[in-house]
Amino acid sequence: MVANGNRDGRQGEALVLKGVDPETCMIVFKNHWAQVVKILEKHDPLRSNTSSNMASAVQNYVEHMLFLLMEEDAGQAGAMGPILEFVVMENVMERLFLWSLRRQFTDDMKLEQLKMYEMIVGQARQPLLHHKPVLRPLMMLLSSCSGTAGPEVEAELVSLLNQLCCVLAKDQSVLELFFHTSEDQGAANFLIFSLLIPFIHREGLVGQQARDALLLIMSLSAENQRVAQHIAENTYFCPVLATGLSGLYSSLPTKLEVPGEEWHCLHREDWLQMPTLVQFLNSLEFCNAVIQVAHPSIRDQLVSYIYNGFLVPVLAPALHKLTLEEVMTTTAYLDLFVRSVSEPILLQTFLSFILLHRHENVHILDTLVSRINTPFQLGTVSLALFQTLIGLYCEDVMLQLILRYLIPCNHMMLSQRRVVKERDFYSVSAAKILALTPSCCSPEHSPPPLRQLDSILWSKGTDNSPNTDPSGDHPPPHQEHAQIYLDVNYLHYLYNARLGISSCTRACQVWSAPYDGEDPPPEEYQPSALEEAGARGRQAQTVNPKRSHPHPRPRPPCPPQTTDPAPTNQLELEWDDSYDAGPVVPPEAATAESSRPPQPPAAEPPKHIQEMRRTAIMLVKGSYIEESDFQDDVMVYDLVAKKDARDTVDRRRPSRETLPESDMDSEFTLEEDHFKVSSLQEKDEVPLSNGLSLPPHPTNMEVNSLEVTKGSKEVKAHVADHNSNLQSPLATEVGDDLMDQYEELIRTLGSDEAGTGGSSHVKTVDKEFRNPVVTPMEEDEVDFSSFSVDTPELEKQHSSLFGTKLRSGSTRSHSVPFTGPFVSVLLSRLENMLDNSLHVNLLLTGILAQLAAYPQPLLQSFLLNTNMVFQPSVRSLYQVLASLKNQIEQQASTKKDFPELITSAQHCLLARESSLKGQDTNSGDSRECSPLEAGRMMKSSPPPQPKTISLARTEVFATVLFTEFLKELAAIAQEHSILSHVPMEE
Amino acid sequence: TYLNDFWEKGRSDGEEQSGEQQQQRASPARPSFGKKQLPSIPKNAVPITKPASPAATAQLANGTHASYGPFYLEYSLLAEFTLVIKQKLPGIYVQPSYKSALMWFGVIFIRHGLYQDGVFKFTVYIPDNYPDGECPRVVFDIPVFHPLVDPVSGELDVRRAFTKWRRNHNHIWQVLMYARTVFYKINTMEPLNPEAAVLYDKDVQLFKSKVVDSVKLCNSHLFDQPKMDDPYAISFSSWNPAIHDEAKERMFSHKRRPEDHQKGLPVSGLSWVKPGSTQPFSKDDNPPLS
Repeated sequence: MVANGNRDGRQGEALVLKGVDPETCMIVFKNHWAQVVKILEKHDPLRSNTSSNMASAVQNYVEHMLFLLMEEDAGQAGAMGPILEFVVMENVMERLFLWSLRRQFTDDMKLEQLKMYEMIVGQARQPLLHHKPVLRPLMMLLSSCSGTAGPEVEAELVSLLNQLCCVLAKDQSVLELFFHTSEDQGAANFLIFSLLIPFIHREGLVGQQARDALLLIMSLSAENQRVAQHIAENTYFCPVLATGLSGLYSSLPTKLEVPGEEWHCLHREDWLQMPTLVQFLNSLEFCNAVIQVAHPSIRDQLVSYIYNGFLVPVLAPALHKLTLEEVMTTTAYLDLFVRSVSEPILLQTFLSFILLHRHENVHILDTLVSRINTPFQLGTVSLALFQTLIGLYCEDVMLQLILRYLIPCNHMMLSQRRVVKERDFYSVSAAKILALTPSCCSPEHSPPPLRQLDSILWSKGTDNSPNTDPSGDHPPPHQEHAQIYLDVNYLHYLYNARLGISSCTRACQVWSAPYDGEDPPPEEYQPSALEEAGARGRQAQTVNPKRSHPHPRPRPPCPPQTTDPAPTNQLELEWDDSYDAGPVVPPEAATAESSRPPQPPAAEPPKHIQEMRRTAIMLVKGSYIEESDFQDDVMVYDLVAKKDARDTVDRRRPSRETLPESDMDSEFTLEEDHFKVSSLQEKDEVPLSNGLSLPPHPTNMEVNSLEVTKGSKEVKAHVADHNSNLQSPLATEVGDDLMDQYEELIRTLGSDEAGTGGSSHVKTVDKEFRNPVVTPMEEDEVDFSSFSVDTPELEKQHSSLFGTKLRSGSTRSHSVPFTGPFVSVLLSRLENMLDNSLHVNLLLTGILAQLAAYPQPLLQSFLLNTNMVFQPSVRSLYQVLASLKNQIEQQASTKKDFPELITSAQHCLLARESSLKGQDTNSGDSRECSPLEAGRMMKSSPPPQPKTISLARTEVFATVLFTEFLKELAAIAQEHSILSHVPMEE
Repeated sequence: TYLNDFWEKGRSDGEEQSGEQQQQRASPARPSFGKKQLPSIPKNAVPITKPASPAATAQLANGTHASYGPFYLEYSLLAEFTLVIKQKLPGIYVQPSYKSALMWFGVIFIRHGLYQDGVFKFTVYIPDNYPDGECPRVVFDIPVFHPLVDPVSGELDVRRAFTKWRRNHNHIWQVLMYARTVFYKINTMEPLNPEAAVLYDKDVQLFKSKVVDSVKLCNSHLFDQPKMDDPYAISFSSWNPAIHDEAKERMFSHKRRPEDHQKGLPVSGLSWVKPGSTQPFSKDDNPPLS
């Protein structure tokens, strides 16, 4: 009530107070305090029941005192005002706190005290927190509120913490004090930070406030080495964040209910309907923000935990689940995550997971690429993921997907290498591409408005040129106007091509090489130069047919390495005992490691594993407590209370009240007491007279009993460990068997944020994890390994199954030129354009257009240069387009109604386009439509409502789309001929 | 002379900008839209010609060329123009006309030699079957006294240097380069202006004085209205601080602009590839992931 009821009253008093001189205020304050002290001394709540009268009397006095304190101005030159000085000298705040602590320290009282501090911290006219006698009881209060409080107290606690962080952000000088105050209780700590951690993943306002407050501290850490070091080395901030992602992820639906066949990615409207996904994205966004502002040491740690604690152990297995739907869902999630992350370092984490991580010895990337060829929705969703990836303008992505196959220039005839950089001066390629326009779609055949042939009056602009011609053998230029028909629609394609290429070119300025057939030099990346690597590759093939496709992983000309990059080896480690084998080193270090003397294997698992383990346990237990940080604080105050309780006969107790002041003494005593309590605690006989609870018991938890038992054991061991600071580490004894179950643990973490509450759910999830229920009859049960592009014998299988044709060239070896599985799969799907559904074709052509807009000559020449002569085994985009044209012409010649159908389809697509145009303005998710796509003739999304033609006539829609795609490609080729050859500054 | 300096700096700047404008014109700026919106008709309609060479027509059998041919021509000329910019020819500035990409306005500054201090405006006429036609023509606004310049029409004899215009080998910048060279290396063979040729061979002193007169004459007409009524025609005016000071300022600060411009934009591209490597995430400053 102290703070509660008085806000209004205070307003009135403030007016009254104006003009009252400071001396009078001081006298009043002292009087009040004298009254309070009297009551405090007479009525110790532990001896006699304090009457509520007394309590309210104290409250009344305190109220007035606080008000006077708040209204007091600072003295001269920033000195304390007299009231504050008195508060400090007499240790007023601490005595008040201890008094209330000894009463029934209920949630209501906590709430009261929290509000009191929130008020004086927020409204005092002079800095209060600089003074230990004010700060310390605040800290005690905070500790006592941690862990067990009800929702109201939590909300108030977080609100106060948030306020304190704001003060910190403004005035870093307080920071030192925050650390020092804690030091009084032993290890240095940063209580307000630790207290916020359990709220990281909380929903709603409390979580938001906590995350905001933490972000303030994160930006503080960027400037303050000490804060950074503390957070990185002494707190579980990063592991909690990362494992929290895992926990939140496990509560996402494993199967999405997709609105329709054309659905291919999670749009904003989609995920806003899914609270669990919103919550996950909030946490991901928070990670993103932390990485953005925090000190590099924290940033790197967090990134590493996200990789090793979320991506590898959770997302990788999720990407390899057993049903199509589940895998499709995971792929859609991954796509959404990549689109949601903006901070380059976090993006890099996701990308290196996708590009380099190997799950069960297969690169995630290869798996994803191979899934493009699945004829189900998984294929579409996979395409959408790649559209996102390509839209990142990321060199590493493009290198792994395509460029590394093009660098050796083996896909073209040797004589063609000089052509790579050549510019197409006269739009020859564009003309050749447009010449593939099916006759049924040629500009003259379609009436407006479908074909916007526009009559343009143009002048040759030679109006005033001199009519004389010295040689007289060519006709003099004359004024000439002509009406011609142009496909005006094409201007839009040109415009969009220009936008797309410009932004892509600008983005690629940060790339390491131009990829122009000279840099990186093709000679250095020839298979022959990589003989050793090749040999290894073949070896691997015989061992594991899954890996049979030869990735000609080009290597830098530095020291000879193994075929696979060191990072991969590192990153593929699973959550198992292998961690115990040795310290986990960063990828670079791993490479360098070989040159160093071998390090003795670590006796213990790496630190971060230990930490992860602990965190996971604590999460499972339902409430996160960072024992080494503030648990002891909590205990201190708990013990103060209990000690008091036992000391009722001890007349000398008043001196104990101010116990923390005599540091040496108190620490000693407490340590002793602590052990007693620990032993008491084990017997579950701790008399808790003051409402403070001890560190979490497994009482209410019905989680996996095994884990819990272990968990509590662990925690106890840690407590003991902590208390006997320098003694031999007890914790490690408990560790080993636990390690085995770690992976499961992490998975079963559950459902809810920080694992609270959802024990039954956890069980369910766990069960699913262990025994994925797959009915053999389920139609979508497919062995994904069969979709691997590079498994020839399986190819036949699924081509017969699903009608997709794969390149015969996939039984390739190092000597056979190969442009990579991604290009191969894309072209395969494109080849089936006439059978593909409209939305698949939209995605496919979108991706190819996106690729074509890249300015790198290797890519440009491969995709757009129709004059290039490729090796016979290499299929080019132009070849595929040409074969499509033939297929279309054949259709057109055999089907009488083809022209009418084309017209209907065009109308239908036009209607769809204009309906989408209206929607465009509403959807704010800009990354969901790339600049290239933005102007495409037709866009994907809701199903069109054809009036006269069924979407099942895929060949008709494909024909229309094909024609538009030709224009899109031609426009890109034309813009390249002028844009890619002008230095960017110009 | 200061004017000249100013002009040179100015042109190089203006040229870039006008190049930009020109290119935008080719594909008019428009809000993001659906393709099917009927665009406004560009003011400077894309020039068209009779169909290109028979060979090209034959190749493009199904009539797409008729609809797209003008785009090919336009882009060919734009490509030529970007090539001119890239060459940074000393003392030569050109700018395609507003009305047609087939007509370029130019000016050439002669910095030493017989024609020193000459500022000659000219127009380049490109045949509309480019690149399969004849060589582009260069016509000086005022017939300069020169053996290779027609004393009546002002046309420079370019064809002697490009007897056969070969696509992919010959480019318009070479024509401009040639137009510059003739003022430094005088050739009197088969002259268009026999008088100048004879004088140069027989009486260099008289030739020189005639050249000086001609240069004076040209320069005295420098501030005349452009011969052609075209927004992009090159026009000179005397120094006007109210206009030119500010423009000059802008030009000098222009040099710094690209960087500033880039700083403002978020870096949209990503790369963690170490230069010289083809391994993803090979850069040293990658944060360790384990």
